[in-house]
Amino acid sequence: MTLKRLHWRRHLIIAPAVVALVHGLTIWAVPRLIMDRIIALGSTDSTLERTNGVTLPPPTDHTQRRIVMPSPDLLYATCFFDLNEQPLRVTLSTNYPRYWSIALYSSSSDNFFVVNDRSAPDGHVDLTVVDPRHQAVTSTLQNGESRVVVAPTHRGMLLMRLLVNDDPGVRAAAELARRSLRCSR
Amino acid sequence: MGTLNPTRRVAYLAGLYLLAIVLGVGSAWLWLTRIGISGVDAGAWRVNLLAGSRDADAYTRARIALGAVLALDRSETLYYTTDHDDTGAPLRAECRYRIAGSPPPARWWSLTAYAADHFLFPNDAKRYSVSGESVTLDSAGRFRATIGPTSEGSQNDRSWIPTTGEGGMRLTLRLYGADEAVQRAPESLATPSIQRIGACS
Repeated sequence: MTLKRLHWRRHLIIAPAVVALVHGLTIWAVPRLIMDRIIALGSTDSTLERTNGVTLPPPTDHTQRRIVMPSPDLLYATCFFDLNEQPLRVTLSTNYPRYWSIALYSSSSDNFFVVNDRSAPDGHVDLTVVDPRHQAVTSTLQNGESRVVVAPTHRGMLLMRLLVNDDPGVRAAAELARRSLRCSR
Repeated sequence: MGTLNPTRRVAYLAGLYLLAIVLGVGSAWLWLTRIGISGVDAGAWRVNLLAGSRDADAYTRARIALGAVLALDRSETLYYTTDHDDTGAPLRAECRYRIAGSPPPARWWSLTAYAADHFLFPNDAKRYSVSGESVTLDSAGRFRATIGPTSEGSQNDRSWIPTTGEGGMRLTLRLYGADEAVQRAPESLATPSIQRIGACS
């Protein structure tokens, strides 16, 4: 067996390992790339209304083609965050009588926190979302004034859902409720 | 191969590793797009127990991101999906289906039809789903809905979801605030039946 043949055999062993590595990396990267795209599109889309740090997309219909499988029965509000510099403060005060929820997602697409109308029956939400590295902030805030939520990744997004129907009164109340959401630094 | 000149050897190696990268990406893509979402079955429907969960494995997380990104976990919402009827035949946008069953035990539920691209079917009436609020229950407490290019009743039938075009179709049954028994055992839900009515247009 010559040295050159050994050289080729080495590559025939390494190549399948590269296949496995690339396969794994692709699986790992897919949710992160999709979240990156959602965050980038949502942060830069100039057609979307923004107020109090919150993006207010129009009611869901067939023209919405940013996020797959949208629910037409919900009105949404979103915030995008990067906790590298400072935490995100989220507040809400509403008396919306139907289902609503606020969910936080990491940049790998995991839903790491949710609060809804049943877990906050008074309609008040006050959260401080922090990066795990912000230990000092975390400790000073653990005095009950704002609930601290530690995000698993420094980038991510908040998605508020409000159950609506065709009734204009319900839609107006949902609109008022999502406009009471605030995302600030 | 031992007699290859250096230039050809580099070309062969580049080809070998390029092929390895293509196979790596291609196998991952096939895995994500050709193999259905894992989970448990309930009638013609499947529910993934780890959708939106931090406990999801890498494959589940990637599949959910592709087909239902920003899902909530099952304590908040259960998502039952299907792309076939009760006989196992693929759902088609050009066919008409009757969906019937008992209202799921949840605080609120809805049934939505999606085209093959996972987006809503265009229609002027902006009618994309039926829910506990829009369906009428019969004397046995069961609901009935129609999905297809034409209604079984009038054009204003609130239990009809219009579809357009041709091609595959996917249905999603969402249960918000499902009863605890269903949360614990989502496969125990008596899911709605899906039956094709008549010939396809």
